[in-house]
Amino acid sequence: MEELKDPRKTFGEALVAAAQKNNRIVALSADSSGGSGMTPFREQFPERHFEFGIMEQGIMGFASGLATTGKIPFFAAIAPFVTARPFEMFRNDLGYMRQNVKVVGRCAGLTYSDLGATHQSLDDIAIIRTIPGVTVINPGDPVDIVKAVHAAAEHIGPVYIKIGSPKMPVLMDENYSFQIGKGEVMEEGSDITIIATGTLLSKAVVATKALQQKGIQPRLINMHTIKPLDKELVLKAAEETGKIVTVEEGYLAGGLGSCIAELLATENPTPMKMIGVDDQYADAGPYEELLAHLGLQGEQIADTVEQFLES
Amino acid sequence: MKKLAKEEEIKLRKIAVQLRKNVLRMIKAGGSGHIGGALSCTDIMTVLYFKIMRVDPQRPDWPERDRFVLSAGHKCLALYGTLAEKGFFDSSLLDTYGALCTKLGGHPDMHKLPGIESNTGALGHGLSIAGGMAMGLKMDGLDSKVYVILGDGELAEGSNWEAAAAASHHQLDNMVAFVDRNKFQHGGRTVDYMSYEPLDKRWEAFGWSVRVIDGNDLQQIFENATDIPFEKGKPSMIIADTIKSKGLPFAEDKASFHYWKVTDEEMKVAEHALQQIEEGIK
Repeated sequence: MEELKDPRKTFGEALVAAAQKNNRIVALSADSSGGSGMTPFREQFPERHFEFGIMEQGIMGFASGLATTGKIPFFAAIAPFVTARPFEMFRNDLGYMRQNVKVVGRCAGLTYSDLGATHQSLDDIAIIRTIPGVTVINPGDPVDIVKAVHAAAEHIGPVYIKIGSPKMPVLMDENYSFQIGKGEVMEEGSDITIIATGTLLSKAVVATKALQQKGIQPRLINMHTIKPLDKELVLKAAEETGKIVTVEEGYLAGGLGSCIAELLATENPTPMKMIGVDDQYADAGPYEELLAHLGLQGEQIADTVEQFLES
Repeated sequence: MKKLAKEEEIKLRKIAVQLRKNVLRMIKAGGSGHIGGALSCTDIMTVLYFKIMRVDPQRPDWPERDRFVLSAGHKCLALYGTLAEKGFFDSSLLDTYGALCTKLGGHPDMHKLPGIESNTGALGHGLSIAGGMAMGLKMDGLDSKVYVILGDGELAEGSNWEAAAAASHHQLDNMVAFVDRNKFQHGGRTVDYMSYEPLDKRWEAFGWSVRVIDGNDLQQIFENATDIPFEKGKPSMIIADTIKSKGLPFAEDKASFHYWKVTDEEMKVAEHALQQIEEGIK
């Protein structure tokens, strides 16, 4: 049985560890500290934790201003409220001003499944990746989350990190070399390539195993960084396997699949299948059931891949 | 309260005319620009940069400097003219206003020119950014202050009021904001478009210590802006009643000069008006 870890708790612990190494790290909360796993940070560094109440637009500006004085603010809250709501502040105050601020959207994708479309975040990758100079990371498991926090703290410039809510299986080796902008091949294979990101990486792992049992050998890539995209790895996979499937818990418009399609369309047109959520407000309901409702469970992904391979 | 000596005031009045001349110089180069708000806040800029703020053009990144955030970024002609006069960059750059790839865009960009502390332009951003600066300076134990200019029309952006509450909640008494109340916005009189009056009561209710002054009176600007914080533990608000396009009689108090596409004839009249002001200083 694979080990499960809470992504928010994992993030909060990693932030404390990063803050112990770097005293310029501060945490900003929109009444979102507890829910974002930042209670240990607040307890350990009360003078470096700032509560603002529910004012996400303003916090972006405060984060930007703090960064001008050399601080490294981490601002964590529910994903749509740090992306779609304060988008202009993200773009102007962080992106355009090139500020060293780290924004963490938690309970992202459909993981706040029961709260409905206002609290789900399917467009965050699509909109934030349009901002020049912003790094976009979508960690695939708890190991990725920890490594992403440390990498973001060391990277100079604005970063968006997307994390989910339900416990996630540990998929990656703790000693693997995580680099911003570098995808990780988890399974070698030459029949087709599955490129997955974020919370659906575990479903793509299930799909890969199911396909292997049927004698299909997919290459599986954990694409934890959406921007900058690991173009080399994608182009190599396209060249060597001939077909690409992307898997993500987000809108097809503008997401990982879209990024890869943009690359392949110009560099090496390759047949693609994009798995995600297509142009709709998702319903509310239990998370795993909602994923199944949208065709995003491992077995369903395997079926989609198999059909695509046969087509 | 500190007062300006007579000779200091005369010196500042001369600088204020020069800053207005710089604004005209850029408009002449570019053919148009946001004149009204640039000239209404020029006197505030004069006092801040030439009498109050701790800045060093040779060290624009000096950690102990005071900060200035022009939240109403469209008033940037006043900022460019001030920074050039102060020596942050060569005044010949003013002639590039409106040119392709100029460093002096229609709204300020901190990565293009020394002395600019924040990119602004979209309204309702500057006060939050300034609040973060004030917070960071306090964390570092520095006594530097953060000065902000807001437009009165800008106050309809709700994000200002998020920042107003947060600055008070976090007791940022090292920040002072001016509302450049020139009473006009792009389309007409501010109170006809969206009234946030009474401004003094509203800012007080948000936890700020408020004074209302004549924002084109150098003495009043100096007396109040050197008396920060007005109250310990509170951010300071100076509601500066100003005249839109101050210094150009034909353009004063008119929404139509919010943005000015200048003709050669108007430019001559404008330059003559500033000349007369300069000659009248004694």
